[in-house]
Amino acid sequence: MSESVFGTLALFPSADALIEAIPKVRKEGFDRLEAFTPYPVHGLDDALGLPKSRLGVLVFIMAAIAAIGAFAFEWWTGTVSYPLLTAGKAYNGWQAWVPVMLEGTILFGTFTAGLAMLFVFNKLPYFGNPVLHSKAIDEITRDRFALMVAPDHGRLDTDAAAAALRAAGGEAVEMLPVPHYAKAGFRWWARTAAAIAVACVVAGLGTAWAIRTFPTTRPMIEMESQPRLDAEAADSFFPNGRGMQRPPRGTVPRAYVPILATNAAQAGQALIDPLPATARVLERGRRMFNIHCAVCHDRLGTGKAWLDSTYEAQPADLQSATMREASDGMLYRVMSEGYGTMPAYAADISQDDRWAIVRYIRALQRSQNAPARDLTAARPAAGAAHSSQRER
Amino acid sequence: MWILAAAGAAGVAATYLADGPQRFLADWLLWFVFMVCVALGALFLVALQHITGATWSVPLRRAPEFIATLTPWLAPVGLIALFALPVLFSWTQPGASSSTPLVLKAAWLNYPFFMIRLVLCLALWVLSYNILIKGSIGQDTSRNASVTVRLRRFSPVFMVILALTLTNFAFDWVSSLEAAWYSDMFGVYLFAGAATSALAATLLAVIYLRRRGRLPGITADHLYNLGGLLFGFTIFWGYIAFSQYLLQWYANLPEEVFWFQQRTSGAMAPVFILLGIGHFFVPFFALMSRNDKKNWKRLRWVSVWVLFMEFVDVFWLISPVLGKGVHFGWPELAFAAFFLAGGLLVITRGMREQQNVPVGDPFLPAGLEFHLR
Repeated sequence: MSESVFGTLALFPSADALIEAIPKVRKEGFDRLEAFTPYPVHGLDDALGLPKSRLGVLVFIMAAIAAIGAFAFEWWTGTVSYPLLTAGKAYNGWQAWVPVMLEGTILFGTFTAGLAMLFVFNKLPYFGNPVLHSKAIDEITRDRFALMVAPDHGRLDTDAAAAALRAAGGEAVEMLPVPHYAKAGFRWWARTAAAIAVACVVAGLGTAWAIRTFPTTRPMIEMESQPRLDAEAADSFFPNGRGMQRPPRGTVPRAYVPILATNAAQAGQALIDPLPATARVLERGRRMFNIHCAVCHDRLGTGKAWLDSTYEAQPADLQSATMREASDGMLYRVMSEGYGTMPAYAADISQDDRWAIVRYIRALQRSQNAPARDLTAARPAAGAAHSSQRER
Repeated sequence: MWILAAAGAAGVAATYLADGPQRFLADWLLWFVFMVCVALGALFLVALQHITGATWSVPLRRAPEFIATLTPWLAPVGLIALFALPVLFSWTQPGASSSTPLVLKAAWLNYPFFMIRLVLCLALWVLSYNILIKGSIGQDTSRNASVTVRLRRFSPVFMVILALTLTNFAFDWVSSLEAAWYSDMFGVYLFAGAATSALAATLLAVIYLRRRGRLPGITADHLYNLGGLLFGFTIFWGYIAFSQYLLQWYANLPEEVFWFQQRTSGAMAPVFILLGIGHFFVPFFALMSRNDKKNWKRLRWVSVWVLFMEFVDVFWLISPVLGKGVHFGWPELAFAAFFLAGGLLVITRGMREQQNVPVGDPFLPAGLEFHLR
């Protein structure tokens, strides 16, 4: 008749007898009932009047937090904190965030369901349900059906409960005390924490020892372990102890002509196109222009960037009068050293290719600004070529 | 109902006379696709029960079976829809053979092969209908338990037939409207819509029959299972629909993305948003809780809403071929009246003339005893 009572239990011969007994016991004022049966019995939940589980609400709340949290996190990092354009998408590309939201929702939902079921609603850790130590347990697991009256708010009148159970047809009534080991006390928690700490230390030391002792097998290391010196690596071969040496003063790479011009005026005179006037050079220039330049300057060189919606700089219009009048050397210098927002391309495009691009820009400029006399000059020449072929 | 169908028919004819063949054929095609979805979805539910050996659904199996009686009617509707080929489909237009993707698809998209595929699909559907539905109804009088065995053996075959024909149908009749576009998962997308809409129609039929007292022994537990299936297929539809959209949005390939651009921007943008919210979020939250899946009234409005959303889905797929803007007006209402009234006449005829419960099925008593807990 105190807090140490787990419940008063009685056995019933059949499932039907159990279900019929439940309302009688409830009528006596005992609402906290537990049933133990050897197999699931239809209608038992309704008879016991079990309230709707609150697990669903908990799962819903946690899942919603995960969905909203994932969205807020991705929105804030990708749009506010560090705006980053990815694959040409807009800043707030919410479509890309949905998979993360979905996974987070499922993760939080399932973990909440599992952990809350175990630790919140089933009150783990709880050792040894006293029913397992009752006299009735053998029969419950075989062919009898048990009903137990549990304390309401820690209080139970065991005599009244036993009388109610007997009146409802229960047999072999017994009172189950709460055993001293059932609930986890301070000592249990201390021992558990100590065990987890010991396990962590042992596992960590073991892993560290194993990594040092056993050679780790690394797949596909041909690229990594070559007989070569890495950049900035130390080596004893040279007296200064460096693996890589600085080139001697004044060294130039093969096929490299240094740019001596320091301003636009000098560039026009100092830098002179060394390439022969062949169709192959022009073709090469077209290829390199379309690879490197056309993204910003457009394929015709009009300076209308393909990226105009997101690219804020205004690329130069290569068809403008200024650009048409600029010297070859000046175009070459801008390509090599950059201009305004445009970066230097010296590292990306070889010198010959840069000159080939200059050639191609000239061809583009001519194509967009062809004077009328080009037409009149071309016509008879073309006709002459045809007739001369026919004569042959 | 006859009056509504007649009024709808008048409206349908008026559409052809007033707005010309384009609008008429687009609406006709829309309802052909919708009918295929509902009818084949119902056949799918029937076969699903046989294939899984479920007993809980035996007492209410007649509901999808009655809905599947739409299947034979797909033949005349589909033959009229064939007239849409030269009008609406991009691969039949002059000059179509000059664009690269269509040259590659020419071996598939040509008149003779298209017709062969349509006839083959219709034949397989009607054949499956005859075996699955007629067989089940014949069991009412013969009381022959071996029919159940035969249906259970045929159902896996039908699932293969359904997968192939519905994918083919989706590619032929919806994707190829804009033949340059392609999406490998489009068949699954249409199937997801078919399963949800057929479940919604089944729920409505069950609720209708039960209110008339013609489905004795059906409890809230049976309904809970149907509601759970609708909830599950709603998630399936959302997953498939968003996956298709996300992949094409991400890749941003011009030959794919133009299709979504037409359907997510401009006047179609509100329809797209309505579809996303209405076809997924509304039924998802409306059916989330356990008690909601047992609630007749809630299931009824959710089912009506899901069917409406399936219409919006098919509308969203097909009507952009008519050009920019949302093409919705009295012709669409007339078509809806005609096809809904006609479909209900077909379905309710079965309800009047046949047993409303498969009385010959040996698993009927087991199904009536179904309890959740």
